[in-house]
Amino acid sequence: MRPIITLTIVGLIAAALLATVEDLTREPIALAKAEMKRKAIEEIFPFGIDSLKNVETPKTKFYEAYDKKGVLKGIAVESATTLGYSGKIEILLGVSPEKKIFDYKVVYHLETPGLGDKIDKPKYKEQFRGRALEGTVWKVKKDGGEIDELTAATISARAVTDAVERGLKYINEQYPNSEGK
Amino acid sequence: MQELFLVIISAVFVNNVVFARFLGICPYLGVSKNLDTAIGMGFAVTFVMTVATAITYVLQKAVLIPFGIEFMQTVMFILVIASLVQLVEIVLKKVSKSLYSSLGIYLPLITTNCAILGMALIAIQEDYDLLTSVVFAFFSAMGFILAIVMFAGIRIKLEEADVPAPFKNVPIGFISAAILSLAFMGFSGLVK
Amino acid sequence: MNEALNILTRGFVRENPVTKMLLGLCPVLAVTTSAVNGLGMGLATTFVLLGSNIVISLTAKVIPDTVRIPAFVLVIATFVTIVDLLIKAYSPELNQALGIFIPLIVVNCMILGRAEAFASRNGIWYSVIDAVGMGIGFTLALFVLSAFREVLGSGTIFNMPLVGEDASTILVFALPPGAFAGLGLIIAGLNALEKKKGGK
Repeated sequence: MRPIITLTIVGLIAAALLATVEDLTREPIALAKAEMKRKAIEEIFPFGIDSLKNVETPKTKFYEAYDKKGVLKGIAVESATTLGYSGKIEILLGVSPEKKIFDYKVVYHLETPGLGDKIDKPKYKEQFRGRALEGTVWKVKKDGGEIDELTAATISARAVTDAVERGLKYINEQYPNSEGK
Repeated sequence: MQELFLVIISAVFVNNVVFARFLGICPYLGVSKNLDTAIGMGFAVTFVMTVATAITYVLQKAVLIPFGIEFMQTVMFILVIASLVQLVEIVLKKVSKSLYSSLGIYLPLITTNCAILGMALIAIQEDYDLLTSVVFAFFSAMGFILAIVMFAGIRIKLEEADVPAPFKNVPIGFISAAILSLAFMGFSGLVK
Repeated sequence: MNEALNILTRGFVRENPVTKMLLGLCPVLAVTTSAVNGLGMGLATTFVLLGSNIVISLTAKVIPDTVRIPAFVLVIATFVTIVDLLIKAYSPELNQALGIFIPLIVVNCMILGRAEAFASRNGIWYSVIDAVGMGIGFTLALFVLSAFREVLGSGTIFNMPLVGEDASTILVFALPPGAFAGLGLIIAGLNALEKKKGGK
């Protein structure tokens, strides 16, 4: 009997302790998550953000960035593709209210370090700036498009191009009028 | 069906437990000294890993999430694995003496085999359904057997090789593992 | 006092949990792609080791032998969950980098090993010293391997670039094979050093 009682007591103490710690950290964890998202969004916009409004649809999440006067300055959208060399790539794409790309940030990927992960380097991302869904052939040059592929990492480049295009399409669906309202 | 097939290929080759995920390294080095023990350990791991992943999956979906106590995940999962190992030990002892004498010694080691807890956690993280989780766990274990058996074969050869003194035993083992892991990297890109 | 010093320092190199005893290798190989990750993992593990050693040295006498291991595992899992929650709350970046290897600290054989072999047989004072010593040894090994891999594989240290952005680095060290090879080279290096010392 004693082993069972001891184990039960140990278990109860552990559960009580964890419940307390969980309670204490619940708010900081939620804050930290929101903070990380905000930081990522701030990185892809070339201006300071005063407030963010989250819009969730069944497909994805949008973040509308407003300045101090409450004017819409940009929209960020979560997009993903499964065409990566090692599967899923998730990006956060930022566009202006005119739906022109500011920048994107790769938030999850398993691409080969040093080759495929160049899709998240400023040097590669530069070419996307100012592009919109219309007026660009969303393919890498090898496939007859306009986006540079990466040496030794064509698949990663193709995948990120796909993710960006998807993101732009999400934005078009959600904000059909060009001013994004 | 195709998705399941991809999970299998990924579990055995592309994301091999040992070479790509770095799980179960301790038994990988510990029991790969000869082929028989390697295979014995491999089958014990397969059994526990598959059953543990099924149980922890149900536990996560039926208890932890409904009650909002996901923070108890680590504690509950490791308890499930530890009790499962004990249970297997008791049953095996009763049912088959010969199987017990060949697998029994590996069982206590399995509790601290991080591949088991690792697979249970990854199956949850990847949001697999029950069937996929079980298939994933089973074939990950197959990947583990593949790794451990290959390595046992290499080690037998290494014992007769003329290795520079500082590299004897463990270091050359790691270097061989590096080369094996390099070979397994050739599988990446296979599953998209 | 000498005894205490001995317990403290033996984990550094002589009985280093990683390079000598080959314990807890999974996180050692998996998370050592950058020096920050290596240090973070080392410190998180040290915290768990310290907590479990303290609790176990205090309670070992009242825990019956039959449930000793489950009870120890329970204690360790509790500390791991605490660390997990704290890292999630205060260092989400580290949480992202270390991933499932934080909950996997629970099956780090080094921790259960110290609980079994040391804390359950010694008083709290020595158990604390043992945990600190072994923790430092573990962190040291992780740090050396991760710094080695980061410098060679990515050309950075603590995320600060050492070479130009276009320079090619020895990529393989950032990849899984580099983890095995790096650890093998470090252990071989230590063996060679030891031999030299012993030979004189």
